[in-house]
Amino acid sequence: MEVTFKDVSLSYDGTREILHHLNFTIPEGTLVSILGPSGCGKSTTLMLISGLLAPTKGQIFFGDQDVTKQDALARKVGMVFQNYALYPHLTVLENIMFPLKMAKVKKEERREKALKLAKLVHVDDQLDKKPGALSGGQQQRVAIARALAKEPSLLLLDEPLSNLDARLRIEMRQEIRRIQQETGVTTIFVTHDQDEALHISDHIMVLNLGDIQQFSSAETLYDNPSNLFVAKFIGEPVINTLPITAFGHDLDGAVPAAILAKTQTVGIRPEALQDHPIDTGTLAQITTQVKAFEKYGREKNALVDYNGNELLSTEIQGRLENHQDLTLYLQKSGFYLFDEAGQRIFGGEQDVE
Amino acid sequence: MLNEKPTLKSTGKALLYLLPMLVITIIFNIYPILKSFIMSFYTKYDFFKDIVQQWGWSNFTYIFHDPDFLLAVKNTLIFVVGVVPLTVIISLVVALLLNKIKWLSGLFRTVYFLPFVTSTVAIAQVWHWIYNSDYGLLNYFLGLFGVSPIAWLESPKYAMLALIIMSIWKSLGFNIVLFLVGLNNINERYYQAAEIDGANAWHQFTNVTVPLLSPITFLVSVNGVIGSFKVFDQIFALFNGTPGPSKSALTIVYYLYQKFYTEWKYGIAAASGVVLFFMILLVTLIQMWYSKKHVHY
Repeated sequence: MEVTFKDVSLSYDGTREILHHLNFTIPEGTLVSILGPSGCGKSTTLMLISGLLAPTKGQIFFGDQDVTKQDALARKVGMVFQNYALYPHLTVLENIMFPLKMAKVKKEERREKALKLAKLVHVDDQLDKKPGALSGGQQQRVAIARALAKEPSLLLLDEPLSNLDARLRIEMRQEIRRIQQETGVTTIFVTHDQDEALHISDHIMVLNLGDIQQFSSAETLYDNPSNLFVAKFIGEPVINTLPITAFGHDLDGAVPAAILAKTQTVGIRPEALQDHPIDTGTLAQITTQVKAFEKYGREKNALVDYNGNELLSTEIQGRLENHQDLTLYLQKSGFYLFDEAGQRIFGGEQDVE
Repeated sequence: MLNEKPTLKSTGKALLYLLPMLVITIIFNIYPILKSFIMSFYTKYDFFKDIVQQWGWSNFTYIFHDPDFLLAVKNTLIFVVGVVPLTVIISLVVALLLNKIKWLSGLFRTVYFLPFVTSTVAIAQVWHWIYNSDYGLLNYFLGLFGVSPIAWLESPKYAMLALIIMSIWKSLGFNIVLFLVGLNNINERYYQAAEIDGANAWHQFTNVTVPLLSPITFLVSVNGVIGSFKVFDQIFALFNGTPGPSKSALTIVYYLYQKFYTEWKYGIAAASGVVLFFMILLVTLIQMWYSKKHVHY
């Protein structure tokens, strides 16, 4: 089911707005992540889609049907909560059957369907256990099966992996991807972890302070961040940022003067700073002083000082000594200029949104 | 040390810590219980010199042939059945309502809790007036619906009902507070999950609230059953020191009290106490057995 928000705003108390004029469309059959720091409104957005919350202003459409006034009962979405919210007094099988029981499905059919789902999420050997006796990953799987039981048009996942350990998190995010592709259900996944979002989603919506910063594919987010927030939020290690004043005349000629005049902040991805020149793609070169040099396995990082600003480079080929001078070559890909409002005015592909 | 092995010294030390409470409990609880068990077999007893001349079962055969005792058992059972289920249901409903209103909820909570902290005698005096057949508030209200005045406290037909009504009212406050605690402990997420799963308000109540509240319901009902089996002070206060008109509110503890303090038949009083003990034990065991299946912790 396609989900469309038209100018949706929400405030809990009528004075402080949590979400401001959200406009977006989530295409049918895709897996979309809503990504943002805590408190950005991502879980709230999910609650609005589920119908557990009603927007203060604006309209929500499922397909071309206006569901703004419908509650969660009527919208028939499936949802996996952060702490799973499995009914502690019911067994795994009863938990999965619960939505079917509410939909007054016949008992044998209920059982049959639930068994099929248990198999899909690989918990068919735990059917008679209570949720309390399951591990986090198993509870997670049961919660997904329960959400899928009534064949929802939408599957909503609210930070479903945050209670799992690192290894399980990677396993489960692949599982979620697999289940989503097997069932083809439109899935909306809320997370604060960019790694999760980048790995499983078709599209990512980056939210901050109740505003959509950018809604695009993972690759576009990284290559063409539309503003400073997205550039800083996406990417590990974090993008280097420094004021344009630090460059002096180093960028003269490399960037049109009209753009330079508007620039306030410069963002350089660590991999766009190389200690060796390449023929194509080099934009400018800067002279820096090495502050620290580290080598882990095949990774070589240098922390350098450039006119009083600290920069990190991950593209070092030579061996460096501390305090030596180092010329770094600025690569065009991964070099961005942002204006006063934080909008990208140079770097990446301008026409991509 | 957490992994310390119990030694004679550490056990002795632990006992020393337990001693003050243990001494009090043994003197005022354990010893009297044992003594009353033993006393129920005294058939000839000199109270003043504490000499037992004869032992036997005749106290028990006496009470089981005493129509007063059988009436007391019957009245006690009626009282328990009349009070406990209604108390549980009414306090649950009130707690649910209180949980819903935000406005003045603190005031309402206090109002409902007041009966619990008020002395039984004072409450009984107020209810005495409410039940008054000529000037009573209850008959006045019933009169508005065309019901002719009822002699609540003077008629053997209504005395037990009057007692039950007052007892339910008195026990509501504490149970409401317990239910409120239980309701607050149910995570809001379960309701959201249930709503997403298609459960309407009633289904949310039966599938989330009732099962997740079951430990509190169990506590309230066990507590209520034990308390109701032991009912005495309400009767004494409401009927001015009598077991109701023509013994209509005679309960086991009241019977015990009469035998012990007014008739000085210590053996018989102790025997009725033993019977009460086993009745409470039996009912509690049944409740525990039931709870294994239906209470979800």
